[in-house]
Amino acid sequence: MNNAALIGNPNTGKTSLFNSLTSSYEYVGNWSGVTVEKKVGQLKNKKGYLTDLPGIYTLHPLSRDEGVAAEFLATESPSLLVNIVDASQLERNLYLTLQLLEYGKPLIIGLNMIDVAKSQGLIIDTETLGASLGCQIIPLIARTGEGSSNLLTSIEEADDSLHTPYFTINYGEIVENAILNISRELNDALPDLSGSHRWTSLQILENNPAVTAALSSSSAEAGLMERLQTVCQSAQQQMQDAGEHLSIQEYIRSVRMSLCHEICNKVVDSTLRKPHPLTEKIDAVAAHPFWGVPIFLAFMFITFKLTFDWLGNPLSDLLDGFISGPITNIAVEGLELVGASDFTRELILSGIISGVGGVIVFIPQIFIMFLIISFIEDSGYMARITVMMDKLMELVGLNGKAIIPFIIGFGCNVPAVMASRSIEQPKERTLTMVLIPLMSCSARLPVYALFAGIFFETAQATIVFSLYIMGIVLALVMAKLFSLFMLKKTKSFFMVELPPYRMPQARTLFRSTWEKGKGFIRKAGTFILGGSVLIWLLTYLGPGGVATTMDDSFLAAIGGLFASVLAPIGFGTWQSGAALVTGFMAKEVVVSTMNIIYHVPDMSGLQSQLALVFTPLQAYSFMAFVLLYTPCLATVGVLRKETASWKWTLFSIFYSLVLAYLVSLIIYQGGQWIGFS
Amino acid sequence: MPPCQCCLLGLKPGIVGSIRHFGAIDPMLKRRLADLGVAEGSNVTIKRRCPLGGPIMLECCGQLLGIRKKEAAQIEVDVS
Repeated sequence: MNNAALIGNPNTGKTSLFNSLTSSYEYVGNWSGVTVEKKVGQLKNKKGYLTDLPGIYTLHPLSRDEGVAAEFLATESPSLLVNIVDASQLERNLYLTLQLLEYGKPLIIGLNMIDVAKSQGLIIDTETLGASLGCQIIPLIARTGEGSSNLLTSIEEADDSLHTPYFTINYGEIVENAILNISRELNDALPDLSGSHRWTSLQILENNPAVTAALSSSSAEAGLMERLQTVCQSAQQQMQDAGEHLSIQEYIRSVRMSLCHEICNKVVDSTLRKPHPLTEKIDAVAAHPFWGVPIFLAFMFITFKLTFDWLGNPLSDLLDGFISGPITNIAVEGLELVGASDFTRELILSGIISGVGGVIVFIPQIFIMFLIISFIEDSGYMARITVMMDKLMELVGLNGKAIIPFIIGFGCNVPAVMASRSIEQPKERTLTMVLIPLMSCSARLPVYALFAGIFFETAQATIVFSLYIMGIVLALVMAKLFSLFMLKKTKSFFMVELPPYRMPQARTLFRSTWEKGKGFIRKAGTFILGGSVLIWLLTYLGPGGVATTMDDSFLAAIGGLFASVLAPIGFGTWQSGAALVTGFMAKEVVVSTMNIIYHVPDMSGLQSQLALVFTPLQAYSFMAFVLLYTPCLATVGVLRKETASWKWTLFSIFYSLVLAYLVSLIIYQGGQWIGFS
Repeated sequence: MPPCQCCLLGLKPGIVGSIRHFGAIDPMLKRRLADLGVAEGSNVTIKRRCPLGGPIMLECCGQLLGIRKKEAAQIEVDVS
């Protein structure tokens, strides 16, 4: 059984390959840091498993996602390493390859993006490259899948019989002696490490935190680490005495770098090298010093126009007609046919169909939004946005890279919190994670679509756009406040790679839209279905048994608790209170609850009901409250996991509740004062 | 900060400079740059600047990257 691991530089197409080599599907994008956690999948030929690891430049980690890959090598023992190398950036990629060869496990190199390299005028002699490194090279174009079947066959054939590569770099006498000493210590204390002793020794000399952490948590006796430290220090001393001005880490790096350079000189013909023509042209417009930001904002506005006015709403109306017409009719007839009791009839028609159907009708809007987000992710535009926004983000104590989780947060806050792993500084990362819930995710979209559709029919996209902007502006303000008062200033830097633009392939685009949207549909079948049944039961039952009117029900009692608190912000009814409480499960449930409470078969029925209860100003205040108040259950869960702190998790719930209340108060009271109703 | 004569920030767009020395920049940034193969002796070009003092876009070894101005001001370059 094979247990292979995909490893390579960031944004070299590892996950694309993982998707075509295994029967699973993972998230792909065109920026560094898409994959932040290792993923295991079964190979398509069922002859083993493949692990996809976050991209790294070197085994020595700087950020949390990079630590995942180094830790994997130090603690688990893959039978085969598949190193994905970007052919258009060979020299830089080889640096990692050298460290992987030292690891001492069979290695196959997947030389990816040979098409990109060719278009840049680079010719690579794969035979010489394979001979210099002593391993098999397989040319690939992961995006189209070209060469992936060859790679699959090679992985299959590379069972234990494949020889371990014999590859050593001579680091010079001082380092070699230190390696010898450390290996001897390791040999006595921990004879069966996952990597070769030479590899482990080098990583210790380089002070790789992931490897040392793995060693200290192993069964070795306590004195080992100190003895290893002594070896490192004495090697450092000897280097200095020999007149070397570099530290031992820098020295090891320089030896490897010059070897990479030497190999590249031999195998890469770059005489015809030319800049990436498409990227040059697009960047001249999209990253223009003056027009860049307005273009980005215009792009976002068009996104909302498409999502709502132009495409989403007409489709949504069709779907609504289908659910309230044919589907409801079938259900009614079916219930009559089996002679269902009134209870069952009500449960299905007023509970499940209203509750779940009320959310399902917003699928078109959500999928259009996801399609556009996927396009931004896959095209290479994402990295440019981080550059354009960095100055603004720096002013409030964040990093330009925080834009990536924020944009992903428009889809769903849960993967967004995960995506913040690629932010290097812990302070900026925590701050980003705590602020992500202010990014208006797709679950809040049904609420806007419903309310804006009733009260702001002519300017729906503008109203919804204003809510998204409100979320972003408040996130920036909060970032400034939190970084002023809570997190002390630490040093910050920003560096981002700008990958070449590429036209996203329709297949990838639809696949990744589906993968994002799938979660929404799954939620409709689980959380929202369960929630709807529960909510309906709470409206059906009351403290005195079956409630005669809904005002006597349990739900009215629960919602009523909050009515007086919510009155100053414009919606002091038990119905709003109940919808908001249940909305903590998932924010779409706000819409389900409204549907059930107002007892209506379809969207237009609910619209006319709501139009009686809310004024436009109250509706806007309500939408703002839904945008800001407490992250949903799933987000709270992931925040707890990623911040590893209850303090920060509770903080994010608490501050957002306070913020939501204040903002809605200002909107409602201020609006009334100005004279809106 | 005033653009200096011989630092990366002072380089005119399109002119190739060779990195002579990394000044007082964050060691993590230096590591990140080294990861990308940007080290002493590498040739760099400024592609474009961002509005309102935002980061600059560089080209080095055939790849594009963005770094902040204050760090670019610390990197000394030689123009041949």
